[in-house]
Amino acid sequence: MFLKSTFSPIFTAIPTRIKPPKHSRAVITDAAIQPSLQTVRQNASTDTAANPSSLLLVHKLPPTSAYIHLPFCRKRCHYCDFPIIALGSSSSSSTTTTNSDCDDPRILNYVETLCREMKATKLSSDPNPPLETVFFGGGTPSLVPPKLVSLVLDTLSSKFGLCANAEISMEMDPGTFDGVKMKRLLELGVNRVSLGVQAFQEELLKACGRAHGVKEIHEAVEIVKSCGVENWSVDLISSLPHQTPDMWEESLKLAIQIQPTHVSVYDLQVEQGTKFETLYTPGEFPLPSENQSAEFYKIASRMLRDAGYDHYEISSYCKKGYQCKHNLTYWKNKSFYGFGLGSASFVGGVRFSRPRRLKDYMCYVQNLEDGLLDCSEDSFTDYKDLAVDVVMLSLRTARGLDLKSFGEAFGGSLLLSICEVYGPYVESGHMTCSDEKGRNITSDEFSFLLSDEHKMNKVVGFLRLSDPDGFLLSNELISLAFGVISP
Amino acid sequence: MSSLYRASKALKLCRAAPTAFSSNYYTTRLSSTSYLDSILGWTQSAFFATHSSQNVKPSIDLCQYASDRIRNFSIIAHVDHGKSTLADRLLELTGTIRKGHGQPQYLDKLQVERERGITVKAQTATMFHKHNFLGTDTEFLLNLVDTPGHVDFSYEVSRSLAACQGALLVVDAAQGVQAQTVANFYLAFESNLTIIPVINKIDQPTADPDRIKAQLKSMFDLDPSEALLTSAKTGQGLEQVLPSVIERIPPPPGKSNSPLRMLLLDAYYDEYKGVICHVAVVDGALRKGEKISSAGTGQSYEVLDVGIMHPELTPTGVLLTGQVGYIVSGMRSTKEARVGDTLYHTRSTVEPLPGFKPAKHMVFSGLYPADGSDFEALNHAIERLTCNDASVSVTKESSSALGMGFRCGFLGLLHMDVFHQRLEQEYGAHVISTVPTVPYIFEYADGSKKHIHNPATLPSNPKQRVTACWEPTVLATIIIPSEYVGSVITLCSERRGEQLEYSFIDSQRAFMKYRLPLREIVVDFYNELKSITSGYASFDYEDADYQASDLVKLDILLNGQPVDAMATIVHRLKAQRVGRELVEKLKKFIDRQMFEITIQAAIGSKVIARETVSAMRKNVLAKCYGGDVTRKRKLLEKQKEGKKRMKRVGSVDIPQEAFNELLKVS
Ligand SMILES: Nc1nc2c(ncn2[C@@H]2O[C@H](COP(=O)(O)OP(=O)(O)OP(=O)(O)O)[C@@H](O)[C@H]2O)c(=O)[nH]1
Ligand SMILES: C[S@@+](CC[C@H](N)C(=O)[O-])C[C@H]1O[C@@H](n2cnc3c(N)ncnc32)[C@H](O)[C@@H]1O
Ligand SMILES: [Mg+2]
Repeated sequence: MFLKSTFSPIFTAIPTRIKPPKHSRAVITDAAIQPSLQTVRQNASTDTAANPSSLLLVHKLPPTSAYIHLPFCRKRCHYCDFPIIALGSSSSSSTTTTNSDCDDPRILNYVETLCREMKATKLSSDPNPPLETVFFGGGTPSLVPPKLVSLVLDTLSSKFGLCANAEISMEMDPGTFDGVKMKRLLELGVNRVSLGVQAFQEELLKACGRAHGVKEIHEAVEIVKSCGVENWSVDLISSLPHQTPDMWEESLKLAIQIQPTHVSVYDLQVEQGTKFETLYTPGEFPLPSENQSAEFYKIASRMLRDAGYDHYEISSYCKKGYQCKHNLTYWKNKSFYGFGLGSASFVGGVRFSRPRRLKDYMCYVQNLEDGLLDCSEDSFTDYKDLAVDVVMLSLRTARGLDLKSFGEAFGGSLLLSICEVYGPYVESGHMTCSDEKGRNITSDEFSFLLSDEHKMNKVVGFLRLSDPDGFLLSNELISLAFGVISP
Repeated sequence: MSSLYRASKALKLCRAAPTAFSSNYYTTRLSSTSYLDSILGWTQSAFFATHSSQNVKPSIDLCQYASDRIRNFSIIAHVDHGKSTLADRLLELTGTIRKGHGQPQYLDKLQVERERGITVKAQTATMFHKHNFLGTDTEFLLNLVDTPGHVDFSYEVSRSLAACQGALLVVDAAQGVQAQTVANFYLAFESNLTIIPVINKIDQPTADPDRIKAQLKSMFDLDPSEALLTSAKTGQGLEQVLPSVIERIPPPPGKSNSPLRMLLLDAYYDEYKGVICHVAVVDGALRKGEKISSAGTGQSYEVLDVGIMHPELTPTGVLLTGQVGYIVSGMRSTKEARVGDTLYHTRSTVEPLPGFKPAKHMVFSGLYPADGSDFEALNHAIERLTCNDASVSVTKESSSALGMGFRCGFLGLLHMDVFHQRLEQEYGAHVISTVPTVPYIFEYADGSKKHIHNPATLPSNPKQRVTACWEPTVLATIIIPSEYVGSVITLCSERRGEQLEYSFIDSQRAFMKYRLPLREIVVDFYNELKSITSGYASFDYEDADYQASDLVKLDILLNGQPVDAMATIVHRLKAQRVGRELVEKLKKFIDRQMFEITIQAAIGSKVIARETVSAMRKNVLAKCYGGDVTRKRKLLEKQKEGKKRMKRVGSVDIPQEAFNELLKVS
């Protein structure tokens, strides 16, 4: 109700889809030409256009991150719905780097196509800044022979440039690499390892259809550590079928014991079309109930924080200074390249997902090379969409939504509407608010501020989901803002 | 509510178990819509058939039909005894419709009628028939009115009878006299109509015409030798029907040389022609181009088109004394066409016809826009539908839970349900209905009286002491095989009924009359009655006086906040049980939310039932792997849309279904 009167004028005064300025200068001219349109947002945009961290601009800046999809796996895990290519048992030999003549031609072909895609991609600016993060995700990137990884990195580097201190992450599965392979990858520049552990119980790994056991996990950890990988992460999944609280605590304890710098804890998603979907119903035995599953999340949050990890994002924990820089680009709504089967990119304000089927992907690359794809740069920005993305992504992080920047970008009245809808949840403790200096704003102060738009704009700094209660209900809470922004 | 679903014949169409049917009502209804659409190729436009058949058939000269060659008659019966089917046969027999063409129950044109297999609106058709009358072959003009059988629409029957001099009282040869047979017989009898008993469905193996004849004799004193035996299915005995109509029913009594007086029988809105009125010319004659006035509104009109329903609108340029037909007169809205009004030649002076007593609204409910559709759209839909169903009363109201809406008065629950269905099907409106209520009267210490059509408007903690309350009652007729007498008596006394009469129609059938509070039969009574009598009971009622009663307002509270749209008025002794049921039902339909929700039923400040819905613990914690933001966003958009469909009271989101579910609690 409130929103109708205060928010919509912003969007009605100027068309929702306006052509975004390419350079900050253009904005200033725009405003100069139409001085009559003195809406909050326009004022804000002129003020902040020069500020590269403006939420209106950040997604328009040239990408400095690249996601690279390496889809090969030995077999598909029972919960997995990623675009992968299962190689079957034949490829077990690729654990080692020695018999490189046994390289699977499927991998070679794929990597060649991937490199063609990168080469055919238009640079979004000239000159373009070098890449600061590269993420090899999968599939199981550690199945790809290092010399092909090298090919990919070389291609990236010559096309886009690569910072000397770039974060280069790779997802690696236990049982798919040895010390030699690890060392080779490190030499190539890989400096962050994400180890797919999932669980520390033989029976759970088996039930997930994992291609490795607990022994391989410990071996993999040993390799990572002995090769001197400083920055490495462990993936765990909670709420697996037949998983008990004891098992979950054990997994967390063991994960803490091996001292990774980063831990990702994912709540099991029963995805459509997976084997799990045919076998299980969320909330029903042998899957834990909603309450138990919430308990698992809380246990993880408590144990990992007690062990000195910072819960910096809904499903991510790290030791101080070891946040995954690549993933931060996502939460900050920054642009990024995506290459390879089914990968998503966000360039020039446009989100695009590549085909998930190999044949379609090959075709796509061919068309890209033939210049048949219109990667029109001057896309329109829908400010509602942008605001929704900003809220959705930033509320996933412990830092939360930067209210100042949000207000500057989208107007004080929208900011107020958002704060208003979250008022009851600040009161209930699902959310917390702090001022610019990080000092906590109590719910009483907060509700007081709601009556004073001006003061609200001035005082508030960040709004965030509380850990764990707010994080647990993130969808519910985030979708409230959706309702405010585009009712 | 579910009693209605039983009453509707869609049940038989679907062959679904009754219980499954009532709980899956909406789905079943939807699927049956498309089923019928595809099979029958039925479209709405057929109802508003505007194509005149002038070009197809030789034009009709009504002047050959003086009053003595006219017969006007209704077909009346209990639900399902075969009125509409018999009408089909008569239309075929006279060549008015071609045999085997068109749908069965040709005159049931509304989509609701087709789906439920019931007649809701009376329909008139004019037929021509040659008959050897008093020694000479004479062509007669016959007006047939097919009427609804269900008790809710008995108002339609009484209106139709006003244009008739006789009625075919159709009785199922196996089922015999049923409650609406009795009710409709008396309507016709009191209007002094000639009654021709027609024992139909004699093709059935269990048909027992002699038993039925005996019933007709003992109950209505109808001579057994006068009964016609027919099967509208096989055609057996049909040839005697029209000759009996011509010979036994008197011609219309009007005077052809008196000034024009027409009775306005019905009106509906046609997209192309505007308002179309059905009229019976009582005295005088009407010609195209003449000026007419309404006695009710004083408005004058020019007759732009005049003709008969044959059965489609067929222009004749004239309507003579005793004839029934339609006129188009440039009325802007059907509000100008008051059913029962007298129309006459402008500048002449006539005594207005007696007209009809206004329809009495038995149940009221709130109608609100659902699915976030807006008030204006619903307003428009209701306005248009009431143009074709003037028997609904509509006033604006608002609810803190549901926003702006309407308080509607209906003739009964089936009527209400049909109205909802027509709103959806014919006007694409999505509605939330509040629990139906009957009109109560509350008296306060200062002597003031308040008529309550919406329980929410009754103060929960009144400043003035309530000194008396009254509730409407009905006189119910129940006919049952004698072995069920015991259980029916138990049911009626549970429903606070008072027995007025108990007799036997014949050796196997009992006839009972009860005074019952209207409230007790509004929800679930017929359903219950059918189930304890294995479907053999028949039931009819007419409205009766108000009686003093110990009534209380029952509030439903969510987290302490009353939901106005869920308030009800109940008898004090039933409050506890109804409160429990409502609260339990709501618990089933309200999803877990971020906070714990308490659901309470209360009388004033006293809580009589309570449930809690525990707080939601966890959402899907899907990640945005590889920056795939779009997928996550879609999920959240869906969540937002889901919220939009909810109604919010305080901090609680209530799904729309919850409101509709409450209708089913008695
Ligand atoms: N066996 C048999 N069935 C019949 C006969 N006449 C009608 N029916 C069937 O009885 C059912 C009800 O017929 P309708 O003509 O719709 O009855 P109605 O009296 O118009 O019903 P309402 O308008 O709802 O009161 C239909 O399934 C008809 O096919 C008959 O003579 N014999
Ligand atoms: C791209 S996937 C797999 C990478 C690598 N092949 C591995 O198994 O470690 C990255 C992570 O997502 C998580 N994951 C995949 N499918 C999931 C699901 N259905 N529910 C929850 N987490 C899932 C797993 O923890 C996995 O390690
Ligand atoms: Mg009928």
